[in-house]
Amino acid sequence: MKQLEEETFEDLSFNPGTWKMIFSYMKPFRKLIIGLIFFAVMIAIIDVSHPLITRYGIDHIISADDLSLLPIFILIYGFYTVATAVVVFMFIFLAEKLRNNLAYQIRKKAFKKLQELPFSYYDRTPAGWIMARMTSDSRQLSDILSWGIVDVTWGGFMMVFLLVVMFVINWQLTLITITVLPALILLSLYFRIKILKAFRKIRKQNSKITGLYNEGINGAKTTKTLVLEDSNYREFDHHTDSMKRHSIRANIFAGLYFPSILLVASIASALVYYFGGLRVYDEIITVGLLYVFAAYVAQFFEPVMQLANSLARFQQAQASAERVVSLIEAEPDITDDADVIETYGTIEQPKTENWEPLIGDVTFDHVTFKYKKGETVLHDFNLTVKAGESVALVGHTGAGKSTIVNLICRFYEPTEGSVLIDGVDYKKRTMHWLHAHLGYVLQDPQLFSGTIKDNIRYGRLDASDEMIEHAAKMVGADDFIRTFDKGYDTEVSEGGSRLSVGQKQLISFARALIADPKILILDEATSSVDTHTEKKIQQAIKTVMEGRTTFIIAHRLSTIVSADRILVLENGQIIESGDHETLLEQSGHYHKLYTNQFKPIKT
Amino acid sequence: MKRYHQFTKWMHGKKKLFILGFLALMATQYFRSLTPLFLQHIVDTVFGDDPSALPGFITRSLQGSTVQQTLLLVSVVFVIYTVIRLLFVLISRVSFAYFMETVAYNMRNTLYDHIQNLSFTYHSSADTGDLIQRTTTDVDAYRRFIGEQLVEVARLFFLSAFAMYQMFRMFPLMTGISLVTAPIIVISAAVYFSKVKTVFDRVERAEASMTTAVQENVTGTRVVKAFQNEKFEIDKFDARSETFRYESMRLSTLMAFFWSGTDFIIFIQYTLTASFGIYFTIQGDMMMGEFIAFLGLLSMIVWPLRQLGRLVGDFGKTIVALDRIDDILVEESEHKYDSSNKPPIRGHIRFNNVAFQFHDDHQPLLKNINFEVKPGETLAVIGKTGSGKSTLMNLLIRLLDVTDGEIMIDGVNINDINKKHLRQHIGVILQEPFLYSRSVYDNIGIMKQNADQKHIHDAANIARVHDDILGFEEGYKTVVGERGVTLSGGQKQRVAIARMLLENKPVLVFDDSLSAVDTETDIQIRRALNHHWQDTTVFIITHRITTAMEADKIIILEDGEIKAFGDHASLLKANGVYASLYKEQTQLKQEVKTQ
Repeated sequence: MKQLEEETFEDLSFNPGTWKMIFSYMKPFRKLIIGLIFFAVMIAIIDVSHPLITRYGIDHIISADDLSLLPIFILIYGFYTVATAVVVFMFIFLAEKLRNNLAYQIRKKAFKKLQELPFSYYDRTPAGWIMARMTSDSRQLSDILSWGIVDVTWGGFMMVFLLVVMFVINWQLTLITITVLPALILLSLYFRIKILKAFRKIRKQNSKITGLYNEGINGAKTTKTLVLEDSNYREFDHHTDSMKRHSIRANIFAGLYFPSILLVASIASALVYYFGGLRVYDEIITVGLLYVFAAYVAQFFEPVMQLANSLARFQQAQASAERVVSLIEAEPDITDDADVIETYGTIEQPKTENWEPLIGDVTFDHVTFKYKKGETVLHDFNLTVKAGESVALVGHTGAGKSTIVNLICRFYEPTEGSVLIDGVDYKKRTMHWLHAHLGYVLQDPQLFSGTIKDNIRYGRLDASDEMIEHAAKMVGADDFIRTFDKGYDTEVSEGGSRLSVGQKQLISFARALIADPKILILDEATSSVDTHTEKKIQQAIKTVMEGRTTFIIAHRLSTIVSADRILVLENGQIIESGDHETLLEQSGHYHKLYTNQFKPIKT
Repeated sequence: MKRYHQFTKWMHGKKKLFILGFLALMATQYFRSLTPLFLQHIVDTVFGDDPSALPGFITRSLQGSTVQQTLLLVSVVFVIYTVIRLLFVLISRVSFAYFMETVAYNMRNTLYDHIQNLSFTYHSSADTGDLIQRTTTDVDAYRRFIGEQLVEVARLFFLSAFAMYQMFRMFPLMTGISLVTAPIIVISAAVYFSKVKTVFDRVERAEASMTTAVQENVTGTRVVKAFQNEKFEIDKFDARSETFRYESMRLSTLMAFFWSGTDFIIFIQYTLTASFGIYFTIQGDMMMGEFIAFLGLLSMIVWPLRQLGRLVGDFGKTIVALDRIDDILVEESEHKYDSSNKPPIRGHIRFNNVAFQFHDDHQPLLKNINFEVKPGETLAVIGKTGSGKSTLMNLLIRLLDVTDGEIMIDGVNINDINKKHLRQHIGVILQEPFLYSRSVYDNIGIMKQNADQKHIHDAANIARVHDDILGFEEGYKTVVGERGVTLSGGQKQRVAIARMLLENKPVLVFDDSLSAVDTETDIQIRRALNHHWQDTTVFIITHRITTAMEADKIIILEDGEIKAFGDHASLLKANGVYASLYKEQTQLKQEVKTQ
């Protein structure tokens, strides 16, 4: 039990810093919020005044036996009806407007931040995490903030108004009936928090089940070949069974909530019936007022429940809020210095007139690189590459190939030493300047949804259709593109599933070519394509490399052979360097690496 | 009609529970409709001498000797009455919870089991995301329909029906007046909620398009950054996000119109009932307490009617969900007509004139395939992508069934062998093996529950993945797959090999399963494995000629036909396709020789 209390306490802990950030995102909507609060108060007034209108009818018309006042009664009711419709419309409209705008605002900030964050952020943050921040978290947060304002304002004012009117009517009766209020509040809070927890557990269980479905579907072939159907089913059953038990428990628990509140409320009603009844009998209050009291007591639990509900939801939203804030407020660890920005501009407002042309010499000057975790990948690494030279990086996984490429792209910066472009430390220029002259071709190509044309144009947004077709021709993609019914306007469909891997690779070459970069990075895929496509790709590589400084993370023999220089890497060191022939003559690592596969196995 | 069959199938054995829930629900609503009558009793019967609207079994216990005593009795009885009413609430709640969750449990298990047993053909053309959607969102929609929406409809229906009944008992004419707007409320809600679906769809589509923009941006970061298209991406996203906001706001505005509009109608009804009520009370046609009770009962009719209309308007969604679930269930399990024959399998395999063609294809994927492999022999199949080499393997383990000819194992046609039995004896290592989200340790031992640690480590060692695993932060306990660490293609392949090594299979198939491993490791593994498979029939499917050249027999597959068959030496001598392929792929060797 003690542990349970501690958990509850921990759950209730409030993080003011997070909410302060979140409320700062709401600043632009100040007017909207004021309007919303106004209408929420109006709703509370409307709800409180409804029994009062009836009371007018009971005491002033029926009891007074004065039918002449009926038209006034109808008029009041009519006015009330119109006012309700208008106020309800307004508060729903405003709350929704706030919700949509807020969600939009949060997404906008988050997305902009995502574009600013360096590559290293993506390296350590799973895509799913980011997706969840952009979708469910921002949605949940804006839901709760906008409707939370309505609920809290309405609930708070409703309680105050109810109490005030009750006190005015008869303070003794009010004091007697509100004795149940503490019980009402405690019960609401207790149940709300318990229910929240129970459902959190269910959600967890549910996502586990979704994961298992996912496995069952994506792993269907493997499951069949390993004949794991039965053992998978047993595991699945174990989880669905536990899901069932948890759900039933939570359901019953949630089912107890409202009845227990009603029970307390019925005690309040009984108090009104007895004490109020006596007062009517003694003619201290009228029948109309007894009616008002009875109606209010029955209404009272609504704002209490609503407030408890909002509290629970805010608490639930805190986790979302923290995650969203952590994304929006993430500090990029690679930025341009202020004086560099001064000269060369930002990505939004580049001062291209100050940009020096990039020639393409790349130098690593005593570069050491450590990942944040502390693992050193490169140590005192030196390399000079002349403009127009092509360099193939060869070595085992973890030898440092990707790190070198990431450093050239300035996706990472050296821990020590510097990378020079055309003899100048690249930190002295903006990232934008570098990237504007950089091409990157991943052979596990990333295409975007849209047409083939759009995808090639991605390399250069102002490219004309002729330029696009020219680029496609150059890399040999034009042929197969034309075989499609819609040619260049063919949708690559999401994830590019309509095109073969080889075709996608060719398109990504065209995309790189149209960007006309001075420095080109080629990251070869290990996946195999058929020989025909292979030849086309080799041809495309040759075309794209021409006249550019090229770094290739190479796996294909033919690519390696055609490079001007081959660097054999091991543990972040260049252990051999030279062209294909020279390296073979050395009979060293390179020789071993590429002759090994022809040794007979059966000895 | 099929879906109605399923509808009740999942409820098996729980129908009584459902009926109990319904009866308790009815009782609850009846009791609830009595609530406003207590005040009527106080005003008309206690203060005056008029008859009470409460039923006899309650009024009988409300006879005090003084007004004070009577009021006390009314209050106490009211609390007791509430307790009884709440007991019924609880009974119905518990019954429905059990009912609903059991049905959901049955559905989930049925679907999972069914999907696992659907044919390979179904799975290779299935849209994963859509299938998952059906198993989660659609199942949940149905669960909520039977356990919540249906119950809610019943609840609202009973409540308003009983409220009308109580009204009618007091004053039939006033009942009619109080129901004037009722049809308008129900119909407008039902129409609104079925029409608003199209707007709702637009919102969902707008959101999906926005999500795609984020998704592609996140997975394509390298490309975005390298082409410095950040601003382009921001603009693209912003446009979609803006569309989503716009569509969503349209929906919101419609909502605001609906709720305020129906509020307007409802309060007109209040105005009518209250005004006529006052008139009739003054005329002496009804009593003041009855007037008050009427207003209480009215709120039990108008608000539920609006909800009722909304729920009915939403019913369409459930039917769609049920149809989508049914689409999966009408697919036939691949084991439905399977043989129960489980002969011993040693690994003598013969393909006799085997052909295969998908029924909606023009051309066969394989034709005239003839060969024989004996236990202990190794057969390599070389071919380009699309040559049919994987189909060959799929036929062997009956993921697909031959359309012509026959495949014999130890003299038995595989069509006459139980599929699971067959697959248990033929170990297949796929090019893209799937790892389950559990620890590496459990993944290797997945087919052998409680395999001892030594075996697991040995297997990992032979597959050259032991050192990789120790390099992970949590070693063998590292969780992989969906929710864990992502292994590289090569690591996955090696884990899959280790997984297969724990079992002794008479037949092993390597379906390009070392393609993502570097050449040096490839050799090490194959060398180690050679010791392992003395008496095993081994198939090696590959596009690397070097992987194939040591096999006892080599098949060259092209466009679904065997182009050449023999061992390395004889094929090389024949100077055909194999020889030229060999030359092409071993150019380096030639160069080395000439050095």
